[in-house]
Amino acid sequence: MKNITVAVAGNPNSGKSTLINAIAGTNLQVGNWPGVTVEKKTALLKLENIQVNLVDLPGTYSLSPYTQEEVIARDFLVKEKPDLIIDVIDSTNLERNLYLTVQLLELDIPVVIALNIYDEAQKKGIIIDIAKLEELLGVKVIPTVATKREGIKDLLDAVKTVAVEPEKFKVKKLNYGEDIEEAIKIVEEELKIKKADLLSQYPSRWLSLKLLEGDKLVLKELNLNEDESFLKKAKHHFIEAHGDDMESLLADLRYGIANGATRDVILKDDNKRIDITEKIDRIVLNRYLGIPIFLLAMWLVFKIAFDFSKPFSDYLDSLISGPLTKWTAYALNSFGSAEWLISLVTDGVIAGVGAVLVFIPVIAVMMFIITLLEGSGYMARVAFVMDRLMHTIGLHGKSFIPMLLGFGCNVPSIYATRILETERDRKLTALLVPLMSCGARLPVYAIFIGAFFAENAPTVLWSLYLLGIVMAIVLGFILKKTLYTGFAPVFIMELPPYRMPMFRDLLVHTWQKLKHFVIKAGTYIFAVSIIMWFLLNTPYGVEKENSALGKLGKTISPVFEPLGFGTWEASSSLVAGLIAKEVVVTTMAQIYVTEEAEQKEEEKGFFEDLRDSFLSFILAIKDAFGNLISGFGIKSLALEEEEEKTPLKSKLQGIFDPLSAYTFLVFVLLYWPCVVVGIAMKQEFGSWKLYGQALLIHSILAWLVAFVIYQGGRLLGF
Amino acid sequence: MRLAELRVGQKAKILSINTKGIIKRRLMDMGIINGEIIKVEKIAPLGDPIDIVVKNYHLSIRKEEANGIEVEVIE
Repeated sequence: MKNITVAVAGNPNSGKSTLINAIAGTNLQVGNWPGVTVEKKTALLKLENIQVNLVDLPGTYSLSPYTQEEVIARDFLVKEKPDLIIDVIDSTNLERNLYLTVQLLELDIPVVIALNIYDEAQKKGIIIDIAKLEELLGVKVIPTVATKREGIKDLLDAVKTVAVEPEKFKVKKLNYGEDIEEAIKIVEEELKIKKADLLSQYPSRWLSLKLLEGDKLVLKELNLNEDESFLKKAKHHFIEAHGDDMESLLADLRYGIANGATRDVILKDDNKRIDITEKIDRIVLNRYLGIPIFLLAMWLVFKIAFDFSKPFSDYLDSLISGPLTKWTAYALNSFGSAEWLISLVTDGVIAGVGAVLVFIPVIAVMMFIITLLEGSGYMARVAFVMDRLMHTIGLHGKSFIPMLLGFGCNVPSIYATRILETERDRKLTALLVPLMSCGARLPVYAIFIGAFFAENAPTVLWSLYLLGIVMAIVLGFILKKTLYTGFAPVFIMELPPYRMPMFRDLLVHTWQKLKHFVIKAGTYIFAVSIIMWFLLNTPYGVEKENSALGKLGKTISPVFEPLGFGTWEASSSLVAGLIAKEVVVTTMAQIYVTEEAEQKEEEKGFFEDLRDSFLSFILAIKDAFGNLISGFGIKSLALEEEEEKTPLKSKLQGIFDPLSAYTFLVFVLLYWPCVVVGIAMKQEFGSWKLYGQALLIHSILAWLVAFVIYQGGRLLGF
Repeated sequence: MRLAELRVGQKAKILSINTKGIIKRRLMDMGIINGEIIKVEKIAPLGDPIDIVVKNYHLSIRKEEANGIEVEVIE
């Protein structure tokens, strides 16, 4: 069997993902490029007796050495030397797309052009002379409409031909003009004499051009200097004629070729009338309407992301902590299992599984929304509108989306940082996201606000949300000046045409992310739950105060003395909050209200429970849709009174005073992000380093702010 | 005149890009090259960035970057 590698390259927004999905379907594997947060999609296909290794390169506008994506794409092309490049081109935007094609043709690798989104071009009245384009560039050109799977078969035929008769795909050298060709020749000949080994590793024309351009990465890799005498000799001619900026000169030249080809092949372009994108943008980005429309859109995004997913999360939670736990305990009991084993299985194992499952609805809905925003082109508009504000804390306009979604749940927000372009942006945004007060903190607020600030509940609650935002701005400033001094993100961004993404693509993408989360993050979350069980229950059967967690709490409690809550109970609960911030409340309930009355369980049979579970699922669906149309408020941001917590409330009133209670809430708001956030960071950034930073930075920040509030409050006489 | 100084609706020809390194290369890769005709289409509701049409597509850049681009108004 013959084995070939096919790389798929193209501009962002050229419909490359849809094309890949159309070619590979369910064979697609999603992972990361080694060491970076850039998605890598691959697929193994079998075409008759040919094994095709399909690799999707990151979407890029060029093959410059400046963005991570570009470096990955060109490294793969230069070092792995695929047998064929499928260059996906947006037919409605020929010139800029051909600029990349021109660079691909320098690599001496056969290229096939997929003239994608061909239907839209036709609708716009753009007529492209395909035969002429093939002749000018010396490559095969296949019109495709990936959304309708048109042209896919022809593309695959081309792949087959490359495998069987590669000589048919001889790469034509585009003529860069006498001067440059002469310079290339000088460099190539010099390399042949002095560095013959390099020419067997790299495509010689590409290498010569990079050396002429003074490409820093290539020079470094080859251990060469920009002022090498043969380079000087080769460039000498130009420097006299055109000045010394070879990089600009070559960019002009490549665009010149792209421009010439475009002019030659576009037979007719009626694209003079205002298209739908312009019409939408006139309203959506309007000076006066822009902001209100934007806020409305963001409100909708938030409402769908959380109010819609919450009933499903709640349902899974109650199913697991209710019937599933009950019947597992029942079954274990009837086998005569020891009490500690039942506790380990139900409170450890099943609770651990539950902790993973409750994230599924929210991550699924949020990934769906983000993919929709990206695919439709609206994400670029969000960035356009918000950049001014985000830029002041050293971030890119696109950071707004992960930050906003952080109010619902920080975990998917960490995954959402992937929409950002640079590693620095992603990390900085990920460090600020935990300051957005997430839904898991609400149960803590609810109980303390209920106990101490019932009359001013909304004010106290909003003060916490606001404090989180203010601290994000402060921390953003500090990090920008200290740890993340690196290059602030440039904002040079295409506003792509609005397009309706394919529903199937959205589902596939969401499913891939979800699968990734459950497999990769699930294991860790599960393990942490078990560890927590052991902390709380070893030695088994002792008072909570003498458990491992209680002892740990006691040891660290002096740290919280200056903040007004230096008790072992409070510090143990804070430690337990590492799992999820709402666990602070459940732990407090376990510690403070030990004599809690036996829960009145209704005696229900197994089948009754089964029926109830089914009914409550139907109810969850109804609630989810009901939430969407239930008016303006956002449920996920509101406090919910929990009746059964009254004993804990009165207990707390005896231990905290209003000032220390508020300080405690501030501390819970700001202190270490939960471990699931950490797992998401590990997944996205490849190491635990960022989570380590977050634990440290946020805990110090929380302590300092809480200290100022508590001591300041006392001075003022509260 | 600088690109950042153009008003909405004005067309201009690019004369030179006075920045260096990554920003310059990025701008060139996106089609901002000498002699190219661009048009300022919109300014973001908060005053920055701006939306220009170049090579028949929409590109948004901050005024900061637009300040480094020398242009000549043609319309």
